[in-house]
Amino acid sequence: MDLEIAAGEFIAILGPSGCGKSTLLRMIARLAEPSGGRITIQPEEQFQTSFVFQDAHLLPWRTVLDNAALPLELMGVKQQARYATARTALQQVSLYEAEERYPAQLSGGMRMRASLARALVTKPRLLLLDEPFAALDEITRFRLDTQLRELWRTRGITVVFVTHSISEAAFLANRAVVLTKRGGGIKLDRRLDLPLERNDDLRMDPRLGHEMKVLLSAMEEE
Amino acid sequence: MHRRSFLRIAPAIALLSGCGKSPGKIRLALNWKPDPQFGGFYAAPYQAHGLDVEILPGGAGTPTIQMVGAGSAKFGVVSADEVAVARSQGNDVVALFAVFQNNPQGIMVHASRRLASLADLLKAGGTLALQRGLPYARLLEKQYGFDKVKIVPSPAGDISAFLADKNFAQQCFIMSEPLTARHQGADVQVFPVSDAGYNPYTTVLATSGESLRQNADRAKAMVAAVREGWRAYLDDPNPTNQRMNQLNPSMAPEVFAEVAEAQKPFIETDETRRNGLGSMSGERWKTLIVQLSELGDITRVPAPGDCYRAL
Amino acid sequence: MKRLRSVIPALIPLLVVTAAAELAVRNGLVKSYLVPAPSSVLRAMIDSRSELFGALLTTSASALVGFLLSTVAGIAIAVFLSSSRAIQRAFYPYAVFFQTVPIIAIAPLLVIWFGYGTRTVVASALIVSIFPVIANTLSGILSTEPALRDLFRLYRASTLVTLFKLRFPAALPQILTGLRVAAGLAVIGAIVGEFIGGQGLGSVVDVARTQQRVDKVFAAVLLASVLGLALFGLINLVSYVTLRRWHASEQ
Repeated sequence: MDLEIAAGEFIAILGPSGCGKSTLLRMIARLAEPSGGRITIQPEEQFQTSFVFQDAHLLPWRTVLDNAALPLELMGVKQQARYATARTALQQVSLYEAEERYPAQLSGGMRMRASLARALVTKPRLLLLDEPFAALDEITRFRLDTQLRELWRTRGITVVFVTHSISEAAFLANRAVVLTKRGGGIKLDRRLDLPLERNDDLRMDPRLGHEMKVLLSAMEEE
Repeated sequence: MHRRSFLRIAPAIALLSGCGKSPGKIRLALNWKPDPQFGGFYAAPYQAHGLDVEILPGGAGTPTIQMVGAGSAKFGVVSADEVAVARSQGNDVVALFAVFQNNPQGIMVHASRRLASLADLLKAGGTLALQRGLPYARLLEKQYGFDKVKIVPSPAGDISAFLADKNFAQQCFIMSEPLTARHQGADVQVFPVSDAGYNPYTTVLATSGESLRQNADRAKAMVAAVREGWRAYLDDPNPTNQRMNQLNPSMAPEVFAEVAEAQKPFIETDETRRNGLGSMSGERWKTLIVQLSELGDITRVPAPGDCYRAL
Repeated sequence: MKRLRSVIPALIPLLVVTAAAELAVRNGLVKSYLVPAPSSVLRAMIDSRSELFGALLTTSASALVGFLLSTVAGIAIAVFLSSSRAIQRAFYPYAVFFQTVPIIAIAPLLVIWFGYGTRTVVASALIVSIFPVIANTLSGILSTEPALRDLFRLYRASTLVTLFKLRFPAALPQILTGLRVAAGLAVIGAIVGEFIGGQGLGSVVDVARTQQRVDKVFAAVLLASVLGLALFGLINLVSYVTLRRWHASEQ
């Protein structure tokens, strides 16, 4: 497969289970090695990548603030500086009040938001998300979708978002890539014809429905 | 994880273990591994006296006095002081046959220390390994005091600590550990505990009062068989020694033979030549009981005549 | 208050058994030289209280030191074993040796190496209690969630940092489980060491046994059990304090 991602894009990667979309994401994050071919990122130096997992994977023995600040701590940033950055990130995901709480005391949606905040503290140029909202209820999912889209718009990051939800892919992304069932191939690579600013109204918009139909038929053929 | 029982709380366990063994067999429980001190028991012609006897070897801490009292063994080997203490606690055990007429317990020291007596030893310092709970130990403590020596637990037949340290003294059987130590090249001197005036009968065959009442004939037959066995063993210990050595390979055969020889004067004395092997006297029992009550080991004083039976 | 109330159900069988034992011995159903009446055990405790409590202090000190050494050494060994599969395969079987060696058999050897006294007792407590610490710590360290390990890898954390900031805290509940088991074993190990090395509650049991003082034996054993319970309770307290904000077991 040959895939080129331009800076600033919001790409959704779709495909049936087992097609390798999570693996692809992990390879981009350098958490896994490709068996053939290469993954290159330009420019290489000082390229911060952040990863958001399907499960929030917060460290249960740390407060929300300490969890959010973890990447900076691992990079050696002093406490005052990293707490300040972490607080800003928490604010952006509307978790500011919960900073002293422990993950066990948070709801699923709040935990995911904390995980998002953690991903943002390193000011990443590339944000990878692997079905992050799949385990959450619909309302929370809608809210987080909107919040994520806003973050993308205001920060100018490149986002690669793996999902099995066609509606979510269509709502969030500028570009959708559908992988083949066996993996290793691209079924469809499409620029979505949708406005830049997106809100809940878009969910009722026939244009969204149209894009979803295209994606659905690509996923169904095989 | 709330209650822990330890290996040493053997009495209750011994009681339980008594169930389920072959019925009809009369069990004789020994309080140590098979060695010359039990020679006569292994040589005894039980079958000829109509007895089907099973000998149970023991080891460190085998609770023979409780086993006999509880009935999990019909007969057992104990020492006279154990019998007196047991009786004072309501454990109805009766002595029948005393193998060792004189107490073979002693303290062994390295001859190089040039000590003249137990009193000397207890003033000279060093380490002394003995079973502190035994009456003779407390008698010694009362008579001479233990403040100059370091008292440690008896290593139960193991002489490695003794061999390693010149200032180490330990409790022993006069004709057993010292011989083994000499074989290992040590120059050993032994002080009999009886020098301090403590001389109970030891390696005593005992049974429960209830057994005796239920079946006096069986007890009589047992004593007769044991007496014959000891006669045979004293006359020729070799065949029995071989049998016992197989059951207890921890002592070398030559040492077996030496010990069997060395223990003879403790077993066959002027009294036994007059009154028969294993016989006991009321006087000796009385002395023992007085000593034990002075030590505080017995509160309810048993009558000497209750402690033993001449069969 | 809730914790106190939860203790009451545990006390009831104890009271019933104690009352039954007392009655059984008084009526001659059970021989007093086999099982002492609870009242005689209590009397023995009162009569020999200074001896018993002195012995309790001695044994407690040895058991505690043995347990602490076990904790430190056990965790260190587990960390060493966790560093690679090859090291585990080479050395773990020897750790199992600590579990299976019969302490009664090697206690005389301990006396030869460490002499009569506290060092032998502590060594015995250590040997008997170290394996659960090693096994549980190792298991805890190795079972860290792969996703969390990925997270640390993503931010290029070194092995050491991952060990201290991730694997260790994650393994804490399991380490504490190992410590709970080790606490009781340390007491047993100390008592066995004292049989051979001569001091503390072990010595009291040994001497009382030769004196046929079953009541005193039970009194000493009871105190040893209390010691074990106290150590166990201490671990539970540590567990509560460290885990209460985040682990299901303390919620």
